[in-house]
Amino acid sequence: MKGILTLITLSAALSGAAGATTYPLTITDDLGRKVTLKAEPKRIVSVLPSTTETVCALGLCDRLVGVDDYSDFPQQATKLPKVGGLYNPNIEAMVALKPDVVLVSQYGKLAEPLTQAGVTVIAVNPETYDEVFTKTALLGKILNREAQARALVGKIKGDIARVEILTKNAVRKPTAYFEIDPTPYSIGPNSFMGVLLTKAGARNIIPASMGDFPKVDPEFIVKANPQLILGVDAKTAGARPGWSGISALKTGKVRDIPAELNTMLGRPGPRLGQALMGLAKLIHPELFK
Amino acid sequence: MQVAAPRRGLGVGLGTLLLAALLLAAVVLGTGLGSVTIPPGEVLGALWRGVTRQALEGNDVIVWQIRLPRVVMGALVGASLSVCGGAFQGVFRNPLADPYLLGVASGSALGATVAIVAGWPRALIPVSALLTALVAVACTLSLAREGRRFPPTRLILAGVVVGSVLSAATTALILRGEDRARQVLAYTLGDLGFSGWRDVLTVLPYVGLGCGALLLLARALDTLQLGELTARSLGVPVERLRLIAVIAASLATAGAVAYVGVIGFVGLIVPHMIRLAFGPGHRTLLPLSALLGGALLVGADLLARTTPLSQVGIVTTLLGGPFFLWLLRKERHD
Repeated sequence: MKGILTLITLSAALSGAAGATTYPLTITDDLGRKVTLKAEPKRIVSVLPSTTETVCALGLCDRLVGVDDYSDFPQQATKLPKVGGLYNPNIEAMVALKPDVVLVSQYGKLAEPLTQAGVTVIAVNPETYDEVFTKTALLGKILNREAQARALVGKIKGDIARVEILTKNAVRKPTAYFEIDPTPYSIGPNSFMGVLLTKAGARNIIPASMGDFPKVDPEFIVKANPQLILGVDAKTAGARPGWSGISALKTGKVRDIPAELNTMLGRPGPRLGQALMGLAKLIHPELFK
Repeated sequence: MQVAAPRRGLGVGLGTLLLAALLLAAVVLGTGLGSVTIPPGEVLGALWRGVTRQALEGNDVIVWQIRLPRVVMGALVGASLSVCGGAFQGVFRNPLADPYLLGVASGSALGATVAIVAGWPRALIPVSALLTALVAVACTLSLAREGRRFPPTRLILAGVVVGSVLSAATTALILRGEDRARQVLAYTLGDLGFSGWRDVLTVLPYVGLGCGALLLLARALDTLQLGELTARSLGVPVERLRLIAVIAASLATAGAVAYVGVIGFVGLIVPHMIRLAFGPGHRTLLPLSALLGGALLVGADLLARTTPLSQVGIVTTLLGGPFFLWLLRKERHD
């Protein structure tokens, strides 16, 4: 009882303290650099699609002055100037936009040249399921939208909980193989996509020991004999050596992921709940009749 | 002056036996080991049930439909690249020559990349790879041509240029099709995953035809080692020999590269190992290279499957690089 009380007081204190961000604000970003923001950023460039979505979900879409080539949601973001992709970033274009801050991923080595050009760079890079929430909160702090970030986190968690309530009651949870790349790469249970797969009511055949996004030996998949295959179309799967005997192919439970859902699933951002919903509908259509 | 005497004492007959045993051992190990360990008895049982067309049970599917074609593909590709390497080194009398010399690999890689990025069906990937490989060879040959002759230096330089240009085109395509980048990358690093019997049967005629022709040319290649003038005076049509060898080797290499991608160093190193042990005569060099190359690639793929190195091309390059450097140092000391 005392513990719960302490928790309540503590969270009350925290939310009370987190009213508005005070600038200058110094944070440690995902590249381990200490970055100081002098004032609330008014001109933002985002080079990570999930970050673009989060910024917009925090109600700051109109402060975005540029995004990377792959940021395509929400609609408003598609009309913004494009500043390249992870492999071919257009640093000149970023600098020319005179941003107060460029939000980058920890990959792509943009921090150094941009910093040298006098641009403030912050790497915010959600990778695990939990980081989706902590990084959303961090972005809220950086952009002086802490209350909105809390609300957004609450909304995403709510969306997820609604799906989870349904899938928890699923009678049969199929063993599943989820392919993210035909080489083939799959997802481990600890990756954020793996967490979604479990929450959607499937049992991942990939053990945690294989890592978050492992390259899989095809014979491992045949041996594991999954009841459901996601991310491959039935024709491709059937043509692979030895796959026609896999349980999922015998029962016709091979589902390619529709392009839009695939995009959502690949982005650790505000549409996580919707992504989970789409995945759950593929795995347990009977629950959504 | 002794020209054709073996440099080492190891008998060719014994060597053939040893290498054949090595290849067999690699095939047996490669079929039994992997992410699932299958005891030899079960492997044999699976093979028997497959041959006698009985119903496959338990791990039979893994043995018969996944590992065996993969192992056979590895042996085929390894043998093919090594025979081509040996032949190229002989044709151009250049120890650094290898199957990728004439831009064949970069040509194949470009064709495969086009097919992969465009999302064409798997069946079209090797076709596309083959066509671009042949175009690449044609470009190299026409660049290197001097009248009716193909001087070795010009040929090698032309091959390097064509290879570089094609690689740049491939890289540009990879960047455009980022979502398939990993698939293309896997291809350019060499990968035997998802090799099935159908792939083996598709590749077999190219490799068989190409390597068969090269084996028939072995005696002429031996004569060529005496020098172009001597060979000519002994009645060897040097330019025609070169052209036929290049076409045969390109056919075999393009076939090998088509499905499994660019597997580095095998074709460069295997012939050297054989030459060190059994001497430079092509009538022993080429067939023994086939045996060792097959065994080496099957072994490398086994390592790739069971360790985090994950792709056979990575393994061959990691093993081949240091060996190559050692070779360079050794040549200098000799």
